[in-house]
Amino acid sequence: MYQERVMSRRRMLGTLAFGGVAAAAGAAAPKRLPNREQLPRQAHALPAFTGPSPNPYWNSVGPLAEYPQKAPLVLLTDRPAQLETPRHYFETAFTPNRAFYVRWHLDEIPNSVDLSAWRLGIEGRVARPVRFSFDDLLKQFQPASVAAVNQCSGNSRSKLQPRVPGGQWGHGAMGNALWTGVRLRDLLEAAKVQPGALAVQVQGLDQGKGPERNGSHDFLKSLDLKDSVIDEAIVAYAMNGEPLPLLNGFPIRLVVPGYFATYWVKGLTWIRALEQPDDNFWMKTGYRIPDTPRGATTPEEVKAGKVKTVPINRMPVRSFIVAPDGSSKLVAKLPVTVRGIAFSGYGAVNKMEVSADGGKTWSAAELGEDHGPYSFRTWSFAWAPAEPGRYALAARATDAKGNVQPDEAVWNPGGYLWNRIERQEVIVGRGE
Amino acid sequence: MRNARIRFAAFLAAVVAAAAGILYAQYDRGYYAPENLGSIRQSAPPTNSDSAVYAVEAYPLYAPELAPGEGREVVQAYCSTCHSTRYITMQPPLARETWEAEVNKMVKTFGQPIPEDVQPIIIKYLQAHYTPASRKK
Repeated sequence: MYQERVMSRRRMLGTLAFGGVAAAAGAAAPKRLPNREQLPRQAHALPAFTGPSPNPYWNSVGPLAEYPQKAPLVLLTDRPAQLETPRHYFETAFTPNRAFYVRWHLDEIPNSVDLSAWRLGIEGRVARPVRFSFDDLLKQFQPASVAAVNQCSGNSRSKLQPRVPGGQWGHGAMGNALWTGVRLRDLLEAAKVQPGALAVQVQGLDQGKGPERNGSHDFLKSLDLKDSVIDEAIVAYAMNGEPLPLLNGFPIRLVVPGYFATYWVKGLTWIRALEQPDDNFWMKTGYRIPDTPRGATTPEEVKAGKVKTVPINRMPVRSFIVAPDGSSKLVAKLPVTVRGIAFSGYGAVNKMEVSADGGKTWSAAELGEDHGPYSFRTWSFAWAPAEPGRYALAARATDAKGNVQPDEAVWNPGGYLWNRIERQEVIVGRGE
Repeated sequence: MRNARIRFAAFLAAVVAAAAGILYAQYDRGYYAPENLGSIRQSAPPTNSDSAVYAVEAYPLYAPELAPGEGREVVQAYCSTCHSTRYITMQPPLARETWEAEVNKMVKTFGQPIPEDVQPIIIKYLQAHYTPASRKK
């Protein structure tokens, strides 16, 4: 009502001022008066609820919330904290620590760590159980660095159809950082892992209120000792050249380049060489994907109990348009740079393509600086929309293994492995 | 001469007014509205010492408004032992059997000791407010 009144009065004034003198002055009439849709409106809040359809927005739809050591992030849950990174932070290859998404499983997450008491223990099937202080990690080992994407297994879960329970992430449960620390292999050698050890289990400082020896009490993950990723894994004490925020795993976290973040245990404090396969909840029941191409299945197959599963592992190739993001109208014939990021857990992204017609035709985009095979790779594409109208921009990445982003959706009950081609609708207005 | 000057001044004024009129029709400006989406207060910088303790303040809670209805208090009590009830409100609307399976998972898989006679109250509440048929916003 308030706006209606202002608009009509304004329009009347404009018309009077114009009409009263235009004839005398012989001034040319403006071609077009602004119509009502183009006049400023008050901002509307994003709806807080998008189901049962897929979430149509890039990010999750929660409010922004302020957390210690963090910029305002999109709130999914408060206890334990799950916070998503807003889209614009992906304009750069490295995600700032203060904007890096947060996902914990158990509610007792560290508020403080006393490094005079804290030790990283390596135990289990080892000849020499050891405990290292933070200072030992700095002094006794050659530092190693890797730029690597950390992506939640459930990133983009809110896009699945039918929707599945779990954290309703948009696309912002990911980030890229330069991780610096000690090679996991060096630590295992220092403890002398014995023959007969099958897997290395990791545990952090978080704990839940459920009964002991239950998934609701301990968050435990493990990696097969035969997996080549063990040689690439780093126990990181620095993230983008700074200490880790507590919410991202201070004092150290495991970095498993190419693998989903479920293995990147935060507040890492225990490393155990296991002689038996790890049968704890977070390996045996949680974070499992159908053993099918792309991890795809259907609700019917799940109901029929036909789906064989394996632990989630490497991240399929993905890419995202970061700008333009649809928040501004573009102008016909004005060149814009379509920009985004791409990555793959199977090796470097070596080809990026952009479409301005929703995926019918594709053109090569330019790749940005190469920070290594597990990093975000920025890309850009110069585009000048010739005509006004609605355009569906699309981006498609190809990785070094020849994996191309598919245009088909994926569905599985965990809501994992979403990697279809993403689109961004943009509206282009007339230039005159 | 004087008439000509007046006429010229009138002409100038008319041109200025016309230009203003055209401008007025081309732009809109100065719109403000009291409605807003809220704001977030900034946190004050922490006070740290040079000890070996690395600490942050308490993590904030953002308790959601659960749908009013029978069973809400029970849900509040049992479902927030291990996690915030935002785990409920964050979900898309889930099928009746999915909610039943979720509650069963909390009891059987995660070991939450919900008395047997309370479990159906929780399931009923979730089905009454958080399925595609019962949840619209």
